[in-house]
Amino acid sequence: MRAAHYREFLAARPALGWVEVHSENYFGAGGYDRHVLERVRADYAVSLHGVGLGLGSAEGFSAAHLARLADLAAWIEPAFVSEHLCWSAAQDRHFNDLLPLPFSREALELVTKRIQLTQDALRRQVLVENISAYVDAAGSEMQEGEFLAELARRTGCGVLLDVNNLYVNQVNLGRQALETIRALPTDCVEEIHLAGHLPRGELLIDHHGDRVAGAVWRLYAAALERFGPIPTLIEWDTDIPPLEVLLEEAMKARDALIA
Amino acid sequence: MLSLLEAQARFADALLGRAGAPGPGMVVYRSNVFGNWAGALAGAYPIVRKIVGEEFFGGLASAYARAHPSASGDLNQYGERLPEFVASFSHTQDLPYLPDVARMEWLAHRAYYAADAGSFGLEGLDESSRLALTPACALLASEWPLERIWTVHQDDYEGGIDVDLGAGPDRILVHRPKWRAQVRSLAPGDYRFLNCARQGTALGEALEAAVAEDPGFDASLALARWVDAGVVTL
Repeated sequence: MRAAHYREFLAARPALGWVEVHSENYFGAGGYDRHVLERVRADYAVSLHGVGLGLGSAEGFSAAHLARLADLAAWIEPAFVSEHLCWSAAQDRHFNDLLPLPFSREALELVTKRIQLTQDALRRQVLVENISAYVDAAGSEMQEGEFLAELARRTGCGVLLDVNNLYVNQVNLGRQALETIRALPTDCVEEIHLAGHLPRGELLIDHHGDRVAGAVWRLYAAALERFGPIPTLIEWDTDIPPLEVLLEEAMKARDALIA
Repeated sequence: MLSLLEAQARFADALLGRAGAPGPGMVVYRSNVFGNWAGALAGAYPIVRKIVGEEFFGGLASAYARAHPSASGDLNQYGERLPEFVASFSHTQDLPYLPDVARMEWLAHRAYYAADAGSFGLEGLDESSRLALTPACALLASEWPLERIWTVHQDDYEGGIDVDLGAGPDRILVHRPKWRAQVRSLAPGDYRFLNCARQGTALGEALEAAVAEDPGFDASLALARWVDAGVVTL
């Protein structure tokens, strides 16, 4: 849910399984956003999707950020809490973006510790999402699926599988999306994300600003076949359309889920 | 092989343009990152953006991002130092009121996210009670007509847009009556009274100071008025 839809959403109360929000948008101590979230939470399950923790930042991981997230989670009692498999801070600067990690043993050790720290602070399981990338971080020693599976095995975290990101990376980096799906244990995926992307030159940009592409719906079908009916969310964060367009996409995912 | 720390430092250098011409993938990251920062700055400073224009604001955002790195994974924290930045930025020296406009906007931005004010009555209050401002409230004194600048730049404002920059000093309260931050001009006595409340001064002393500052200050009404407005609390 984005601020552009607050009024319409509260008035229409669409029949949805749950509502996901970006955690950081509710880090304030009070004000309108938290007021809306509290009202939505009264009628819906809510999941918190973080974009700023940076589980893989070699330095600059913020205990204060983690504490804010823990406070928010304690207040809203979310169905899921998720973060991204990425880094975001270096050289005393936060990049406020999801930057790519190599699938190396060093990164695996670091992210394992950070997930444990996060789960301890929140006193619950977190989900970790595969990101889209435009540059392959050098130094990988394993495939993405193996890396995620190992994180889940070591920490008990779940996987938030972003199917659009798998497709974007297949085009941008030549990673095989189906291989990643097959490398994940069937019981570790707790949530799925779908979103639109935008071709620019040779690259696909993961802009969350369009309907889900046909190729991504087909990969989604393959994911459902392997993992079963997993709660699925449509992400739409730029050029936000009327609520009804977003709900149409969500219904399409629901039809696939119950097919 | 590079350590993760070294690899991320190199990536950061490439992103910030310190490492030669970027490849197509790095161009995307650069555009996303600077775009996110500029978007956050535009969200916090809509009036500054209207005053300088969208195109100039893009350049300002880019220069600011290099001078004052983002320090938080929460983009709503980003942009706190824009007032001092525009005060020293060579291209905005012809807009001497811009730093105070930016100060006002940052206070409004903080007010939007501030804790909600609890309810509070006047029972049991005496002269020695120490006052406070509610979390969303802040004060700013300026040489420039800030309330007028605020008003004419609101999206739903429909009146004349002339601003008399020589209108004299302005003392403003930034507060959040419901959910939107608002700005109002204060008479000297009210400003003094609220400034005393901000500093935790005792009620009796605050009222005396306000009367001394401004003989027109009505000490009998001020407390109830500012408590009712959700500005003053204990």
